Amino acid sequence: MSPSTPAVLVEAVTKSFGPVPALCGVSFAAEPGEVLGVLGPNGAGKTTTVNILSTLLRPDSGRAVVAGHDVVTDPAGVRRAVMLTGQYAALDDMLTGFENLVLFARLLGLRRRAARARARELLAEFDLEDAADRRVGKYSGGMRRRIDIACGLVVPPRVVFLDEPTTGLDPRSRQRVWDLIAGFKAQGVTTLLTTQYLEEADLLADRIVVIDRGTVVAEGTPAQLKQRVGATFCEVVPVRAADVPAVAHVLRRFAPAAVVEVAADRVTIPAPHGAGTLAQVATAVAAHGVAVSDIALRRPSLDEVFLALTAARPRFEVVA
Amino acid sequence: MSTTVTTPENSVPALVRHTGLQAGRLLTRWRRDPMTVLQSLAYPVLLLLMLEAVLGRQVSAFAGQDALYGTVPMVVVMSALLGSLAGAVTLGRECEAGLPARLWVLPVHRASALASRFVAEAVRITVTTVVVVAAGVVLGFRFHRGPLAAIGFLAVPVLFGLAFAALVTAAAFMAAKTVVIEAISLLCTLMLFFNPGFVPIGAYPDVLAPVIRNQPMTSAVETMQALALGGAVQGPLVRTVAWSVALVAVCAVPVIRGYRRAL
Amino acid sequence: MTTTTAAPSPLYQWWVLSARTLIPAVRGGELVTALVAPLVFTVGFYVPLQRVIALFTGGAVDYGQFLMPLIALQAVAFTAISAAFLAATDAVHGIDRRFATMPIAAAVPLAARLSASTVKCALSLAAAIGCGYVIGFRFAGATAAVGFCVLALTIGTVLTLGADVLGTVFRSPEATTQALMLPQLVLGMLSCGFVPIDQFPAWIQPFVRNQPVSQFASSLRGLADGTGAALTPTLLWLGGILLVVVPLATRTNRRQR
Repeated sequence: MSPSTPAVLVEAVTKSFGPVPALCGVSFAAEPGEVLGVLGPNGAGKTTTVNILSTLLRPDSGRAVVAGHDVVTDPAGVRRAVMLTGQYAALDDMLTGFENLVLFARLLGLRRRAARARARELLAEFDLEDAADRRVGKYSGGMRRRIDIACGLVVPPRVVFLDEPTTGLDPRSRQRVWDLIAGFKAQGVTTLLTTQYLEEADLLADRIVVIDRGTVVAEGTPAQLKQRVGATFCEVVPVRAADVPAVAHVLRRFAPAAVVEVAADRVTIPAPHGAGTLAQVATAVAAHGVAVSDIALRRPSLDEVFLALTAARPRFEVVA
Repeated sequence: MSTTVTTPENSVPALVRHTGLQAGRLLTRWRRDPMTVLQSLAYPVLLLLMLEAVLGRQVSAFAGQDALYGTVPMVVVMSALLGSLAGAVTLGRECEAGLPARLWVLPVHRASALASRFVAEAVRITVTTVVVVAAGVVLGFRFHRGPLAAIGFLAVPVLFGLAFAALVTAAAFMAAKTVVIEAISLLCTLMLFFNPGFVPIGAYPDVLAPVIRNQPMTSAVETMQALALGGAVQGPLVRTVAWSVALVAVCAVPVIRGYRRAL
Repeated sequence: MTTTTAAPSPLYQWWVLSARTLIPAVRGGELVTALVAPLVFTVGFYVPLQRVIALFTGGAVDYGQFLMPLIALQAVAFTAISAAFLAATDAVHGIDRRFATMPIAAAVPLAARLSASTVKCALSLAAAIGCGYVIGFRFAGATAAVGFCVLALTIGTVLTLGADVLGTVFRSPEATTQALMLPQLVLGMLSCGFVPIDQFPAWIQPFVRNQPVSQFASSLRGLADGTGAALTPTLLWLGGILLVVVPLATRTNRRQR
């Protein structure tokens, strides 16, 4: 596989469940070693996409290639290269952690002795040695997630599908999962991360794909997406509301009058140079002698991106 | 490299290996669940003992032969049927948790998932049969036709039980689960009272005799009775095989399709 | 101007909660199950065994007349088990705790469940008697019928109370029903309601004679025949069960406050 071939390639994939269209033409690609975040509201088609890529479902039309194997013509090849972990950490909860690892190892082709050795290796790596002989049903949420991911890493995969991996975890466990994902990146493993937590996507993803109602509505790095929806703003809040016009007057030096937003208690202007603009504005306002209660840079959040991109589209086009 | 087994996913050795591993998982799971152990081992023996204590003498007097030769087959077949119901419930719960999907995405033979469920079921039925027969032997049950017939005796409930399991699984996939399970439980209860293992066919009102004679469980019970005690084996055996083959033929495709969809 | 205050009468609350249990039961077909269960028991026990028992006793025992009390008992036991299931479901879904934070007297939810169960019990009993008539059972007279029904309903209510407590304590609908069906089957089969006691092996006869279901069946049979059989053992058993169950019920329902 040459470096320019994407690790995951999706081209115009459609899928319907009876009369219900789940995917209406999804296209995107993930480069090797990249963390691709897949965002979207519930029912948007994220899970269907992941299910198609992991060979659980067949697409109705279009093409999907994972690690060089077509999901329709060579699903066995796909299965040898991927690891899937779902939101509910699907393991046999009446087997112990050790037994689950050995089962997965043997199903992936290791002989018994090698499987047991690999299981012990993974238990040590994921800090689960004490719980190795306890049934998985009795594990805490964080431990379940760790053993779930460990089971997927018995044989190193090339592409990892993480479906909402930190849902329901406490902050420490969540941090551990994030560290693991960073580890995948370091090893050159491609990660497809589905998540509802926008801060998680913001933090971990190299690029983000936003899916809504069965199509890709936006694609890009987190920074690019934020820029699409809004830019950074500089906000000045004077101590006395009466000073607002004075502040507005000062700020008109830094931005055209049309974009200076004057509210009852604050003035806001775009800050194309980020912190640089902030410093200039602060100096100017202080030089003017206005007492300032707060001056800050307000960056758009990924929440705003998400809400803006997946806002309800009007059903009917109104012809003016 | 000797630490890994590299066979293509869709080869026969892979099928055997992967089926064995997944069946082992299911059996470990059942072994560790107290309810399943009780239902597979303790309840059948208890039922056998009770039926023998309460109705043994009366039925023997009516039938002219020891009632055990009817009760033991009936209890064995009934536990096989009820066990497959419990198995369908387990499958439903596992599908909800996402485990079959997880295993499906592994590079295992495509048929091994369903095959392993049937293999595990067959093992469970055999274990129950052996335990119930052992209890029967204590009460006076004997194999009068030799070891080959005894092996046939063990094989018939497995054949019929697996066919019934296919039916139950297909039904569970196609309809709302609780309704199906209750309806089949009720059906099993009725079949328990209306088969020649409970009381001989002659004890039933004449108008019911044809119904009972053609009830699916009857042929299995009659075959087992004949294999242990004596009498015509061929007729009931042919009927049992016919029922089993018919059930599997009708339910095979719905089971496979239903399983894929439930993933 | 009318104001709404939260001070409803316990009687009204009891009525509302009883309806809450009964109306979905009517719609959901649970009442159908209560009516069908006696039919299943009758058909399952009587039809296969009638000739066998007749042959064994040389015609001395009219199995229809003989079996009927047990069918009635199995029917009321069946409704008791459904009550356990309902109580466990309520407990596990936390609605008990919800009621405990509302101005509802602690006894009211329990009383509502009991009254709903008694309605099902009465219907089941009526169906059982209907089935009995089909297989040849007859009461000795009007007093016999009344006595029979009163005793059967009393047994049903006591069993329901016990089952309700068990369900509330164990909180698992499935496990509770499975656990209760076993005694129902065992005690039902190993009783003189099922076959005459002299047909049991000698070693098990003491158990069969003295176990509660046998006593209940004998008393019911005596009332139906008009022969006025010994009621004392039955009443003692019922009293004993109440002695155990009533304090438990008070404690379980109070602890949830």
